[in-house]
Amino acid sequence: MPTARSSTEPPPGVGSDLRRAVVDVGILLRFRASSVRRPRAMRLGLALLAAVTLAAAVAPALLPGAGSSPRAQDAAVLLPTVLSALVLIAVISAVASGGGRELVARDPASVHPISPTTDHLGALLLAPVNIAWVIQSWALLGSTAFALGADRPARLAAAQVGMLLWLVLATSLAQVVAWALEGLRRIRYGVGVIRGGAVVLLGALVGLQMTERLVPVLDHLPTLQVVVGLVFGFTPRWCLTVSALVLLVLAAVGLGALLAHAVARRIPRDELRAESGSRRALPQPRSDVLALVRVDRGSVWRAVPMRRGAAVLALAPAVIALIGDLAWAQLVLLPGLVCAGGALLFGVNAWCLDGRGGLWRESLPVESGLVFDARSWVVAEFLLAVSLGTLLVGGLRSGLPSAGEAVALGCAVVVVTVQVLAAAMRWSIKAPHAVDLRSARATPAPPVAMIGYSSRLALSTTVTVMVFSLAATLGDATAAPVLALPMLLWSSYRWVRARNRWVDPQQRAAVIVTTAA
Amino acid sequence: MTASDDAPAVSVRGLRVRFGEVEAVAGVDLEAQAGRSVGLLGRNGAGKSTTMRVLAGVVPPSEGLVLVAGHDVRHEPLAVKRAVGYCPDVGGLVPRATPWEHLQLAARLRRLPAGWEERARELLERFELGHVAHRISAGFSHGMGRRLSVVLAALHEPQVLLLDEPFDGVDPIGVEATLEVVADARARGACVLVSTHLRELAIEACSHVTVLRGGSQVALMSAAEMAGEEGARAYRSLLD
Repeated sequence: MPTARSSTEPPPGVGSDLRRAVVDVGILLRFRASSVRRPRAMRLGLALLAAVTLAAAVAPALLPGAGSSPRAQDAAVLLPTVLSALVLIAVISAVASGGGRELVARDPASVHPISPTTDHLGALLLAPVNIAWVIQSWALLGSTAFALGADRPARLAAAQVGMLLWLVLATSLAQVVAWALEGLRRIRYGVGVIRGGAVVLLGALVGLQMTERLVPVLDHLPTLQVVVGLVFGFTPRWCLTVSALVLLVLAAVGLGALLAHAVARRIPRDELRAESGSRRALPQPRSDVLALVRVDRGSVWRAVPMRRGAAVLALAPAVIALIGDLAWAQLVLLPGLVCAGGALLFGVNAWCLDGRGGLWRESLPVESGLVFDARSWVVAEFLLAVSLGTLLVGGLRSGLPSAGEAVALGCAVVVVTVQVLAAAMRWSIKAPHAVDLRSARATPAPPVAMIGYSSRLALSTTVTVMVFSLAATLGDATAAPVLALPMLLWSSYRWVRARNRWVDPQQRAAVIVTTAA
Repeated sequence: MTASDDAPAVSVRGLRVRFGEVEAVAGVDLEAQAGRSVGLLGRNGAGKSTTMRVLAGVVPPSEGLVLVAGHDVRHEPLAVKRAVGYCPDVGGLVPRATPWEHLQLAARLRRLPAGWEERARELLERFELGHVAHRISAGFSHGMGRRLSVVLAALHEPQVLLLDEPFDGVDPIGVEATLEVVADARARGACVLVSTHLRELAIEACSHVTVLRGGSQVALMSAAEMAGEEGARAYRSLLD
């Protein structure tokens, strides 16, 4: 297999590089599809996703009041902000994952001649494999449908075509920003520059909000012109807007490819520093469980994707809460989102932390139940750390909570943590994957599995926190604990069942051999 | 059950291991005495690593009786793990833990008495890993990882030392250090099993060799019989 151009070959042009990249993306997609463990479930899931997207684009237009009521007008007024929010979400996701997700993990891909252009196109295709992106997209299509109504179907169709183009543009722009920041991160002092820049940006956002200048700034964003250009049907202005969007998409995809090449030429400093630096030796742990927890904790907090993910999870919703000046009853909703996101960083495949060391660890004389307890503790403390970090920052402007709100908040955090922990430990045993979390772009499971995990976690945690958000508004401090008790018991039962499976030597061996493969 | 003086340190009778429809080990019989080192040879997929995993208590047997240091791996897995030191065939290291943290975990869980650090440092130096004792193992080369795996297996001077592909990708100094570890273990009366594709090193490290093919044992002979061109021909004929 040729990996480099021969001296006798002419240099490849941009067109041939792009053609080859497109062909390679097809090959890699087919390869990924062929390695899916449950292809029928995957096809069903993708069909469901497409059906829900279609429903989001059409069904709200059929609701009473769609297109004419004051609420529909409000939805129309908010559309430019929704467009901006989508760009923001896409940028955060792409930047946090160090340039987006990989079609093939770094180490196995390194032996194949996969060009940075292929990698870039693959990252664009995998961007929707992210529950935040999917929900925001549904929100955009749904808001547009509700704002316009179904009276003039052609007008709705024109608007939705434009909105889909906007989704593509937002994703492409996010990828450009992600590659640019990843390139910056890989130069000397780049990490410091990015961290400083993030602090300044967040400070500016909070400052704008506190001085009540955020809304005027949002009003001046070009997204308003985009909405105006798209929502009046197939007019000349619509053609102009759509043409501009298409040109911008092409430019963003091209620029992203150039930046991907530039990034590929630089060494990932974060990851190298994590692997080459010396660690301070700590005294011998005083108990078996402390010894196990110490190694597991190191496996989590020393991994670049986990550290970046935790920072984004803790801060991004918190800043939005700060800007939105959310009340405690609304802040109760945040632990659900944050815990689900935390589990998606590694918890859904918790035994992959040991990598190939799992075989050696299993040969150590220790009760398997204790190993499970230690791993569960480390997953739970990670989830709690990001949840509490979010609440601490997000609640800065919310004053002191009432007794009812404080109890509901506490119950929500505990219940959602145990709920997510039980699900994560269950899935870790049921469907282990051999993955290496060295790269900032790595995920604990293949893309299709991640979609399944994220949608199930998003659904269950959202329902849970909505219950406690409601409890927080009741003003009765006993309501939340009464609601929490059965939920805690059910999640604890599921955790115990997962523990029993782990203690079974056959099932444990299957997990270890798979993750160490 | 405990090991008596004349009982074999490792006794395998009719071992079968199945992963779903795949039979990785199909009826292996194996016996190894204390103070003896046995080489496990065979082609890829012959069942060497799976047999080692069973002996280490990592994978339970589907059928058969496996006794390690007198303990049944099925019913006394913790006792087996206390008696065994295991260097797995792949990696064998927790990616984001340092060598010293690996050693601390092993020392804690194996209840090593105070002063284990001295032996740990001596082993690290012998395998030329002293300078990377506090670096996480994800950045190690393949050979460094292999050497550290041997150190971890040998730290507690186990009754049964299981080394699966310990020479794979290891430089001559690491090979020499591994051979020393095997010799030391035999000298103190431990049983050593070495799985490898390198016939010459198996002969150097072991007193006996056994050849596995298609998940079954096809030969057991003294290492001397495997030596030289005659031994190479005999080995080659056993593989087909």
